[in-house]
Amino acid sequence: MNIASSSRPQPGPSLVHRLSRAVAWNAVAPPLVFAGMLLVVGVLNANYLGPIGISIATASAAPIMLVALGQAMVLNIGSIDLSNAAISLFGTILLAMALPSMGLGAIVGVLLLLTLIGAVNGAILAYTQVPSFALTLGTLGILQTAALVTSGSETIYVSENRELVTVLYNTRLASIPLTFWIGVLVAIAYWAVLRFTVAGQNMTAVGKNERGALLSAVPVRRVKILAFAISGFTGGLAGLAIVAQAGSASASGLGSALLLPGIAAALVGGTSISGGVTNPINVIFGALTVAFVPIAIQAIGFGAQAQSLVYGVFIIVVVALTTTRARGLVIK
Amino acid sequence: MTAPTADRQTPDMRLILSRLRLGPVGLIAALAVLILVFSFLNPRFASIENLQNVLFQVSVPLIIVVGTTLVIQMGSIDLAPEGIMGAAGMAWILLSPNSRLDSDIGLWAWPVALGLGLGLGLVTGLIYAKLKVPSFVVTLGTWYVGLGIAILLYGNDLLPSLTSEGLARWPTQVTLGLPNSFWLAAFVLAGGVLLSHYTHLGRGLMAIGNNEGIARSSGMKVDLLKIAAFTIAGVLSALAGILATMQLGSGSPDIGFGQLFTVIPAAVIGGTALSGGEGGVMRSALGVVLLVILNNGLVLAGVDPDYQSGVFGTLLLVAIIAVAWPQRGRLKVAK
Repeated sequence: MNIASSSRPQPGPSLVHRLSRAVAWNAVAPPLVFAGMLLVVGVLNANYLGPIGISIATASAAPIMLVALGQAMVLNIGSIDLSNAAISLFGTILLAMALPSMGLGAIVGVLLLLTLIGAVNGAILAYTQVPSFALTLGTLGILQTAALVTSGSETIYVSENRELVTVLYNTRLASIPLTFWIGVLVAIAYWAVLRFTVAGQNMTAVGKNERGALLSAVPVRRVKILAFAISGFTGGLAGLAIVAQAGSASASGLGSALLLPGIAAALVGGTSISGGVTNPINVIFGALTVAFVPIAIQAIGFGAQAQSLVYGVFIIVVVALTTTRARGLVIK
Repeated sequence: MTAPTADRQTPDMRLILSRLRLGPVGLIAALAVLILVFSFLNPRFASIENLQNVLFQVSVPLIIVVGTTLVIQMGSIDLAPEGIMGAAGMAWILLSPNSRLDSDIGLWAWPVALGLGLGLGLVTGLIYAKLKVPSFVVTLGTWYVGLGIAILLYGNDLLPSLTSEGLARWPTQVTLGLPNSFWLAAFVLAGGVLLSHYTHLGRGLMAIGNNEGIARSSGMKVDLLKIAAFTIAGVLSALAGILATMQLGSGSPDIGFGQLFTVIPAAVIGGTALSGGEGGVMRSALGVVLLVILNNGLVLAGVDPDYQSGVFGTLLLVAIIAVAWPQRGRLKVAK
């Protein structure tokens, strides 16, 4: 692009350039949107922002955030994982069944198994080259049946060793439950992976231009398996957060409707659905925004019935505001 | 391909053969095998009553899949049908003779409810084509918006049920041996096939799915076609919502629940690639028939309904892998 610059050593991006990139609209939009919503709620009904309100909102945001973080990692390579909420639901049931007899081992075992399920998703995707939307829709159905059959369509209460997981929900730091802080730690870890490791850079490369990545000797198959394994693992953590909150698990209970909020949180958090763009830190704000919508609707004075409507409009508006519209880009 | 002058016949023949192999022939064979197996497992499966029952069940997803296929053919995705069905079905029943409100406006309920679907579809198309928001996101939004409209219309009151005997019985009534629901669906399907194969709009959508850049630079009004596709899908979802409400005899915001999990796998099993530019309305319709017969047959064979989504999921996996297997290639990009 610039012939002169090739002769002398690259000074790196100029400060102005870096600043303008740092304040790029779609990078600051997720926290801004969340702050705006907090402001509206705070002005109209400050009671919702007290310690109790915050602990309720963050507790409900925790599983959404974890599912959304896994989804963001998959969206980042240009695929989608429709099965990750079903993975975490299956995980809650396995966890509730295994905890009484196996204790901590159950947590480790379930997380390993779910990571493996995710990796299998990724392996099928990588080796058969089917579209991830259809593939994970299929595994979603299989996992739903697995959850129904293993639980016998009943609610499973954690009879013993319950405190091993409920401590994660009952312990508060700054009136925010530990489950939420786990999500924050995971987000920071994933941010670091994407930013500083070869594996992370490879993932973004695949998302930006898969064919280009392949021709540059990026191990595309391994990258896909890794991304889906991460999604499975994070789905497992979401399952852990759900069992910690409910103390029980069922195929139709808490956590059975996490798929769409998870995708919405990833998108509101600035993740591009066409791949190559994500920032796990912003996904935290995306999840908070999604979890806060019901509270904001109540604070503004709409009935609970308006929730779906506002939710739908909100997703479209936020994504319309933050989406990239490069010239000549094909939007599907 | 490499030597165009040498033998131009061979690649053409191969193309035709590969189309036959992946096309409806395989689907129809699979259907025949399923029907044989299920008739063997339970003789009641092949009875006239059950076949009429299957045709009754197949009508609603059949109407939706016509619109969904048009959208998928151009490389987009439509998640909104369940929401639009809820909104249109609820609007229709509240404006027809019902047990809750005295707001019967007779036949005018139809244009109002269909207009609601048209409006939602039009808005979806406009946001997608003009604001360039990915269709996955827009239709996810309109799904919720439709559901929200249905919930608001529903309010806190009693479930509205249809009080007109004639309307409630219309879908099950048999004309020329087939239930009226199915006639309606068949009519929509025929329209969809004609539209998709013989109109500028239908061929244009296929061209967009194949290569949007080329379609645009050869002067096609891409934005207009996109908006038209989503508008048609919206109207058809609304029609499906009205039919489902009539079949049930009462209104519910969740009238479309689970339809997406039938319609999208059906389109994919039928060979409509999610990347666009392939497949067709008729093939998707065969996919719907296959899934509904599978479901009906499994129930009659005594399989626990818990297994249904697992069976659908496995079938979807096998089908997409079978379709994609011959087209694998190191440089192929599959998202």
